[in-house]
Amino acid sequence: MNELAIHTDKLVKTYSKLRAVDELSINVPRGGVYGFLGRNGAGKTSTMRMLLGLARPTAGSATVLGMSIGREQVAILERTAYVTEGKVLYGGMTARELVRFTRGFYPNWSDDAVARYARRFDVPMDRPFAQLSLGNRTKVCLLLALAQQADLLIFDEPTSGLDPVGVDEFQRVVAEDLAGDGRTVLISSHQLADVERIADWVGLIDNGRLLLEARLDDIKSQYRLITAAGTGLPQRKGGDILSANSDGNFRKYLVRANAEAFAAELGTQGATITEVSPLGLREIFLELVRKEEPCTSGNAGEIPAPAFSSI
Amino acid sequence: MLLHLNPASGVPIYLQIENQVKHYVAAGALGPGDALPSVRKVAADMRINPNTVARAYQNLERDGILRSVPGGGTYVAENPGGLLKSEKIRRLRPYARQIAVEGTQLRLEPQEIVNLVEQELESLEVADERVGNSHR
Repeated sequence: MNELAIHTDKLVKTYSKLRAVDELSINVPRGGVYGFLGRNGAGKTSTMRMLLGLARPTAGSATVLGMSIGREQVAILERTAYVTEGKVLYGGMTARELVRFTRGFYPNWSDDAVARYARRFDVPMDRPFAQLSLGNRTKVCLLLALAQQADLLIFDEPTSGLDPVGVDEFQRVVAEDLAGDGRTVLISSHQLADVERIADWVGLIDNGRLLLEARLDDIKSQYRLITAAGTGLPQRKGGDILSANSDGNFRKYLVRANAEAFAAELGTQGATITEVSPLGLREIFLELVRKEEPCTSGNAGEIPAPAFSSI
Repeated sequence: MLLHLNPASGVPIYLQIENQVKHYVAAGALGPGDALPSVRKVAADMRINPNTVARAYQNLERDGILRSVPGGGTYVAENPGGLLKSEKIRRLRPYARQIAVEGTQLRLEPQEIVNLVEQELESLEVADERVGNSHR
């Protein structure tokens, strides 16, 4: 059996002139919780829709649970649950009616799970969907997704509108019932603190391209922000240096490995290393995504960095 | 088992778990033969990924602090101090170096740094007596 639940190979999606997804290759291991991160419009939702066969790739290919998207779409949909970003369902139907409407499409559907999650999430079962608050709509969408007993769950902003109790319950479900049961979860969320808690892998995309894909523990162990003071310090990315920022006389480098060696090398160039510190997910997100803006000031005419030999 | 985790810190969650279990064992709050909650229960209680908990338990087992019985749970090892002395020293040396470097940078006297470590050792002993531990 394929060890990857999702694999994309140079997936491209263009909408007229916009390249929403740009040669994106990601790997989501089976049984993992993968945090799929990026700014608004980075291409996350477009990617998810292609994985489910709801949008046709302009180029590239992908497999979901070992099956090829497009060719085996029905089989993929039977084993994959999807909570959409918009949380839109038939407005006139109640949750109870939506359950009856949905259950026939999924071979592993569990009415026990419906009862269990309706209770745990406190889902209003008998009011028309259109009359529900955003948080309660989200709960109905989660209920329908969880009852499918799917092997793969794709969540696009699964906690929008949920109160803190609902968010906590959702995290518990992911930890215990999904990851704890060997199911695979792909979760896109701007709630980085929640992702940081529950995910074991993260992929960060920007402008449709992959900036970073790694095990979260490895990021925490190896990524470091180095702050150095001095003049004529290198200001170039490349290799293990993911970003280089100026702040007055200080320069900040985000490196993904061998931080101590790089700091030592800066030291030999006359720099004073003021700090080598580990980073949380939020700091890494901001460092990387802010860096990708097209016109970063102050880069012109800088002395290029010497090739940093990684050990 | 009470864990305090800070997922947003730069320290990997599995390391936070490892350090706290080590602390509980060193302080005697967990004694040889005591059962640890299952990976699934810790993950559910703390709302974290089960793979992260499993990694911490595996590392603690490798270090001889825990032992697992196939299909029967995870326990504090009977003899968690079973490593060779040279190996124990090798593992501790980076922390000793860090204390020495940080202390010197803060311009503390060598004796003040040593005193600090001694105070920490004493507080472990106090905690040990408080839980009435007879294992060590």
